[in-house]
Amino acid sequence: MKQHRWLKIILLCLLTMGLAGCWDKQELNEKAFVIGIGLDKDEEEGKVKVTYLITNPEAGAQQAGGTTKEPPQEIISLVADDFISSRDTANAIVAKSISYNLLSVLIVSEDLARDPNFIRLIYSAAKDREIKRSLKIIVTKEKAEAFINNNKPKLETRPDNYFGLIINRGQKIGMIPDANLKSFFTDTEGDADFFLAIYATTDKEQRDKENTSDDNLIAGEIKEEGTSNNTEMIGSAVFSQGQMIGKMTGEETRISSLLDDTWNAVDILTAYPDPFDERYRLTVRMSKQKNNTYKLTNDYGRPHFEITVPLYIEVLSDPSMVNYAGNKQKVVKLKQYLTDNIEKKMQQFIEKTQKEFKGDTFHLSVPFRKHFATLGEFRDFDWMKTYPDAEVNVKVEIHFGEFGRQTKLPKLKEVRD
Amino acid sequence: MLKEMFQVFKKRKQKPLSMQQQLVGEQTELKEQSISSDLEENFQTLKKLFHIPKNNDVKVRELYIEGLNKKACLLFISTISDVKSIEENILKPLLTNKSGKEIKEIVSIQAVTEIHLFKDAVKNLNQGNTVLLIDGCSQGFAMDCPNFQGRTIEKPNTEILIKGPKEAFIEKVDVNISLVRKKIKDENLVVESIDVGARSKSEVYILYIDDLANDKLVENIKNRLNRLDVNSIQNLSLLEEYIEERSYSLFPSILSTERPDRAATFLEDGYIVLLMDNSPDCLVLPATFWSFFHSPEDHYLRFLYGNFTRALRMAAMFITVFTSAIYIAITAYHSEMIPSELMLAIAASREKVPFPAVVEILMMEFAFELIREAGLRVPSPIGPTIGIVGALILGQAAVQANIISPIVIIVSALSGLSSFAVSDISLNFAVRLIRFVFIICAAFMGMYGMTAFFVAGVYYMVSIKSYGVPYLAPMSPSYKSSSDTMFRRLLRNEKFRPGFLKPSDLQKKQ
Repeated sequence: MKQHRWLKIILLCLLTMGLAGCWDKQELNEKAFVIGIGLDKDEEEGKVKVTYLITNPEAGAQQAGGTTKEPPQEIISLVADDFISSRDTANAIVAKSISYNLLSVLIVSEDLARDPNFIRLIYSAAKDREIKRSLKIIVTKEKAEAFINNNKPKLETRPDNYFGLIINRGQKIGMIPDANLKSFFTDTEGDADFFLAIYATTDKEQRDKENTSDDNLIAGEIKEEGTSNNTEMIGSAVFSQGQMIGKMTGEETRISSLLDDTWNAVDILTAYPDPFDERYRLTVRMSKQKNNTYKLTNDYGRPHFEITVPLYIEVLSDPSMVNYAGNKQKVVKLKQYLTDNIEKKMQQFIEKTQKEFKGDTFHLSVPFRKHFATLGEFRDFDWMKTYPDAEVNVKVEIHFGEFGRQTKLPKLKEVRD
Repeated sequence: MLKEMFQVFKKRKQKPLSMQQQLVGEQTELKEQSISSDLEENFQTLKKLFHIPKNNDVKVRELYIEGLNKKACLLFISTISDVKSIEENILKPLLTNKSGKEIKEIVSIQAVTEIHLFKDAVKNLNQGNTVLLIDGCSQGFAMDCPNFQGRTIEKPNTEILIKGPKEAFIEKVDVNISLVRKKIKDENLVVESIDVGARSKSEVYILYIDDLANDKLVENIKNRLNRLDVNSIQNLSLLEEYIEERSYSLFPSILSTERPDRAATFLEDGYIVLLMDNSPDCLVLPATFWSFFHSPEDHYLRFLYGNFTRALRMAAMFITVFTSAIYIAITAYHSEMIPSELMLAIAASREKVPFPAVVEILMMEFAFELIREAGLRVPSPIGPTIGIVGALILGQAAVQANIISPIVIIVSALSGLSSFAVSDISLNFAVRLIRFVFIICAAFMGMYGMTAFFVAGVYYMVSIKSYGVPYLAPMSPSYKSSSDTMFRRLLRNEKFRPGFLKPSDLQKKQ
């Protein structure tokens, strides 16, 4: 009897599993992994041109059973209603089922991003289960389709690898913002701060500009030669309420990152005019090791924000060869000089956001929200309206680290002697 | 309809007759007779019982005892008795004796018992003793001189340690008892024996420490052994299945060990140990999950080292059970869980393989089990073949032929290798079998199926008992004990005997 009971149980389990299981089973080799989706405006109203960048897992893989000579990526463009329904249309061309599991970048043309209807399109990403909120948003100067077609990384065979690495590094050095889908939604819905997307292009525009530092550039402006990829990712696209309203250079993006406590660029290398000799520029490495402090005072009805930015600075060059490291007075002078210089740049940047964008790009509302007792109070304050007229003061506190590995340089006179 | 389907499988079982009643050819009636005073008659009866002269090694020596002036007859089975001792200590004194002394005073053998029934004569002879029958005497004398052949004490073969005692039980039970007594020099260590088997009377020895072990438990086990109604039980491995509570269960409920030091440790904690002739091991009961999971070396090694081994073993157990299943679940259902590089690597390796991941895994796991089984049974001169076949053909060639993806080889090798870290053979089998169930669950339902089965499995493990002791005690339910479960404590902090055994004296140190 006991035996039969077990037989029943086992049979029932097998039946249940056989009937109920397996319904969404899909082997990895039956999927086509989309790494990036490009979105472009189509001539027809309400339609969008979707470009898929599909990676080929086999490319570059060492296999015992013989390697293939297939290309590392496959690109297809088609016109569709949105990038969710376009999946099935794409399957008319691509053999494997289209999967968004590895989708890591959403590439939008500037043209489409400036369209007021862009927000309708991108919110469908919130509906799809497979799209991750860590999806990065890239705005391209040219058409997204052209960007994807022109982007041919030389050393990273597969596109997923390339995008992951370049975006990660770009964020660390502050040249591009931390632009993921989640912060797009929160910033758009938060109704206070602006969202920054990564600005990129493969379209070179040679601009000879003397006397700018290395980072006061936006994508397409870097003077670059050689055999490398054409893609440049530097600067950011500013989004207000889900619509692109302007763009910022790499330097401005870095300043924005320093003013912002919600994301942190850890390794900023930049240059300032040498205080000891105007002909040269001093290279410094900046990082923010402590959080900013924010203060809000209300004088005569006009809000007054005060931001203190603690900076840790390592001065890495000494082109005038004055050996400031060994001299206390020179260090004080250097500090004062850098403080003034950085404060001035930040102040200019803030002015730009107030006048040009009419909103802040560095999540200024986040630390100040706690000054309001209720959400209603914060809404009444109307950040978007108040910020452009507010007075914002920036103070920089510099802590010097080391002055390069070797602090002392030989005296120029002795060398030349 | 299901009911009807099951009707097909139904077999009418009849309760069999008691073994004692249907022993054909056992000449039970003859055995029940008492020994008469007529030597010739007795001799004929024994001849019948032992099939003399058909039976070649049953020796009969007729002799005349001068001192008593009587004819006598000496019977023994030469292959299992000490012939030299018989010659020296029985035959010689009897033949040279001229005085009228009692038999017990003539022979110089350590134990001489009087027997009155043929049953006893038969039993003694079968145990290697010598029986002396004297004309005109209505009793016989059984003299102790068994000499069974066997091997000497050797190193343990299956439970191998680096640090710790290195002697193992052998097939002779008196040697085994001696090994245990050597470790527990305590007069309270009781060695009781119970006969099992109606035809071949084998003795099962029950060892326990009288004032420690729970009386009810001892009684329970004795009852179980007494109730056994079988012709013969050759050794403990067979006995285990007769006395265990859940024969269909995946989990073992009686611990078998070949290490006397381990048996002694269990005895001192209030467990009961069973020993038997022909068994190079002992049974320890009741057993919990932890007793299978532990190894004596955990305590022999220093605190940290021992616990490291435990952690390693636990990890290995989980790897064995879960790796293959997780691989299937993740690749077939939850591919977003894998980091993108790894996912693409797996996808690339699966590109040219014809079978779904489940089939691949099952093939490899099955192949691994085959290699293991074949490696165990293969005669040692052709042993190296297994390695070549296993490594080359199944590993390399299968990948090159695009039948198996290389990552599957890694997964199944990892789970196979880890399974060896579970040293207890019973638990090892349990873990390996459970692995297959998990693979099936993962194949059908992904992670959800695995979780469901795992939860069900934990429910089951918590619910089962071994001789009244919950399987996961003292972890769940909690008992007062030294909490020697997943990890051990410092020896000086292990103050209590396991509370779930209800020992008479709970505290073992201050």
